[in-house]
Amino acid sequence: MNIKPLVITFSLLLMSGSALADDDCDDPIAGWQPRENLRQKLEAEGWKVFRIKVDDGCYEVKGRDPEGRRAEAEYSPATFELRGMELEDDDDDDDDDDDDDDYRGKSGNDSKSINKEQAPRKGIITGRPTVTVE
Amino acid sequence: MKNILFALGLATAMALPAYAQAREVTFTTQLSNYGGDGAYLALYLTDADGQYQGTLWIAGQKSKYYKHLRGWARGSGMNKAEYDGLTGASVTSGRTQNVTLELDDALIDAGYQVRVDTAVEDMRDNRSDVVAPLTTEGSGKSVAGRGYVQSFVYNLK
Repeated sequence: MNIKPLVITFSLLLMSGSALADDDCDDPIAGWQPRENLRQKLEAEGWKVFRIKVDDGCYEVKGRDPEGRRAEAEYSPATFELRGMELEDDDDDDDDDDDDDDYRGKSGNDSKSINKEQAPRKGIITGRPTVTVE
Repeated sequence: MKNILFALGLATAMALPAYAQAREVTFTTQLSNYGGDGAYLALYLTDADGQYQGTLWIAGQKSKYYKHLRGWARGSGMNKAEYDGLTGASVTSGRTQNVTLELDDALIDAGYQVRVDTAVEDMRDNRSDVVAPLTTEGSGKSVAGRGYVQSFVYNLK
């Protein structure tokens, strides 16, 4: 028995489930579940979800995975099947409330938006600069 | 001279914190159309020898890239206490950023320089893209940058 066509067919069948189209996800829009559902599902799993947007036909989630690592993950909008995940660097110290809380010890405040009375900055400026871009 | 100035400044700050003479300054940085991602900028002061004195503003939110603002990074040690509350978004190619702040009077006409380091992802880093003496005479006088900065000017009120 010639096994080659069988191997090729089998491979094609396997591949057909993957993203061969231009979009990473190809769920028909009629079947999409609301983003809120995905958010709730992930938060129940231990994620902290920063935002969900649509990218290349998928829901792209940005947040912290259950292990506390910053990550971006793509899900099929209809089935919520995980299509891909990318962890961001550990030393990514973004403008995130948690980082400041950890730094100061769970003050519970967003230290960046509050006046500097409680923790004077070391430096040459008093107060907060005003910045505009045109 | 610098020691006296520093001591004077310190004494003033300690004795009358609410009355320390401060001046409003606006630093305007115009970027050229370099055609890349948003630029990270470090605006900071040095003495006449280029020794870091303090941070004015950091444009760019991801601290993992701050090491590319090389002069500032070395001087400040990228110590969070140096730039806490002094960060904002990176600046897009071709745009102009205005930073207005209160600066201690004692820093003007005292031999200090304003410097701007710049960096763009996947493009070069520019230590000291701009170097400009901080003087009343220099107020309003535009200078050219060496990298992504097309022109830089500060205005003392």
